[in-house]
Amino acid sequence: MRGITTFIQRDFLRWERGRVAVFSALVMPAAWLIFVGLALPVKFTGNYLDFITPGILVMTMLSAGLSGGALLMFDKILGFLNKFLALPTPRESILFGKILFITGRGLIQTTIILIIAVIIGASLLHPFQYFMIYLVLFAFGILISSFATTIALYLEDHDSYAAFNTMISMPLFFTSSALMPYNVMPSWLRTIAVLNPLSFAIDAIRDIGYGIIPLFPLAMLVGLAGFIIFLCSHVFRKVTI
Amino acid sequence: MSIIETNELVKNYGDLCAVDHVTLSIGKEVFGLLGPNGSGKTTTVLMLTTLLCPTSGTASICGYDIQKQAEMVRSMISYVPQDMAVDIKLTGRENVIFFAKLYGIPSPKDKADEALALMELNERADDLTRTYSGGMRRRLELAQALVHEPSALFLDEPTLGLDVAARKKIWEHIGSLSRRGMSIFVTTHYMDEADRFCDRVGIINNGKIAACGTPLELKAKLMNDVITVKIEGTCQPPDLEGVWYVGKHEDEISFTAENGKEALPTIAEALTRNNVKIRAMSLREPTLDDVFLQAVGQQEEPYGFADSKFRIMLRRRK
Repeated sequence: MRGITTFIQRDFLRWERGRVAVFSALVMPAAWLIFVGLALPVKFTGNYLDFITPGILVMTMLSAGLSGGALLMFDKILGFLNKFLALPTPRESILFGKILFITGRGLIQTTIILIIAVIIGASLLHPFQYFMIYLVLFAFGILISSFATTIALYLEDHDSYAAFNTMISMPLFFTSSALMPYNVMPSWLRTIAVLNPLSFAIDAIRDIGYGIIPLFPLAMLVGLAGFIIFLCSHVFRKVTI
Repeated sequence: MSIIETNELVKNYGDLCAVDHVTLSIGKEVFGLLGPNGSGKTTTVLMLTTLLCPTSGTASICGYDIQKQAEMVRSMISYVPQDMAVDIKLTGRENVIFFAKLYGIPSPKDKADEALALMELNERADDLTRTYSGGMRRRLELAQALVHEPSALFLDEPTLGLDVAARKKIWEHIGSLSRRGMSIFVTTHYMDEADRFCDRVGIINNGKIAACGTPLELKAKLMNDVITVKIEGTCQPPDLEGVWYVGKHEDEISFTAENGKEALPTIAEALTRNNVKIRAMSLREPTLDDVFLQAVGQQEEPYGFADSKFRIMLRRRK
């Protein structure tokens, strides 16, 4: 669609010029990787770093997506959106450009985290496995960024959105399969973890690491992402008419 | 030939009628829509730029219907909203090229250079917009809007918050664009600017067009001279021959008369007879302010501030 790449270019330029934000977003996942992945004494696996890396990759994508949700809302508050909407470019390209930018930015950040993980001792995988991991992360990124954008457009206020962001990110992470396998979880946590969309992505990446092609979780992610994008374009149309 | 046409355009926000049966026809000229805050200026512009659906009525730009052929309308127009929205982390040139690309122009870089030069920004084009002054940012927005050579340009309060010199410059640019054959639709509440720089003005109040014509015509309707009297307290306007009451603004009441010099003492006498204390009197030629006062009535809010209605408007406008 015409305009999508131009909108993405604009966001990347703006992101790259806000130098501090480029690095600060990486501190948290890198700290988890090093201080938890390397230091936590666990008994259920020999290489905990290998176990936790998929979780941290998904966490990086999660926080990239959640923080990106505010972008379209800010464009709206600051008056950019009205200017864009009066352009002859198809209006949906504003939304899809934003979702693709947030996902793309998340993929860049996860790449850096992945490199750090390998440097500090995670096992190297086959290139095809990495390709599959990116596929999963991409589907998850689309899902989370369209979800965050929908919520932000709906709330229309950055304070409420920041509150929502802090409220949702940690619980989502802790109730997923990021930190421990299902068989060591208490049963109440297991029930939640199985339903958590983060677990789909994490389990899929883990399966790839074991050499399994994760058809079911990947299909679930793609299906969910499609559904949320549908909702999101509905909300977008509603706020822009 | 008219470029912008509206026919009985209506927009309701709940039970608040923001735009009330507005019919306008605008050709290749600078048209100023004047009105107090909340009179429906921005709502009208939002409808004409396809950002808002009218409740009823129709409008067209270059013959394209704003609802049925919205995409065609958007390719004919440019819109510069009230809040200055330029990317401060991008340079002036990048800001303009960005829009040129979105308009799908074949050679965005050359066109951007042209637009920047036209707005006298080429020297600072490679600086970050963060370093631009308010007037420069406004001109940058104009450059963004010009880059695809629109047939109709919509400017919502283009001089709001700018200093005198910057305002003058913006208006000069607007004038030169109109001479290039563009139809320019400006909203403003600065009467003196509209008087000097608009070919035609429409005065809108409570969503209705109260008067429309060239500034000269409108002023001519008000006769020759305007007499302003500064008084103490309130007064009932006296009924005098050859003198017409215009309106009241704060502690000043205005009259208009065919022969101002003769009317001065008559008015003074009549007011003194009614026990009104006169502080000052002046005689001058009519301005658009007087036209506005006559068309709109007292500038004070006619009814109390309706909080709920205001909220409804804010919510819809965002």
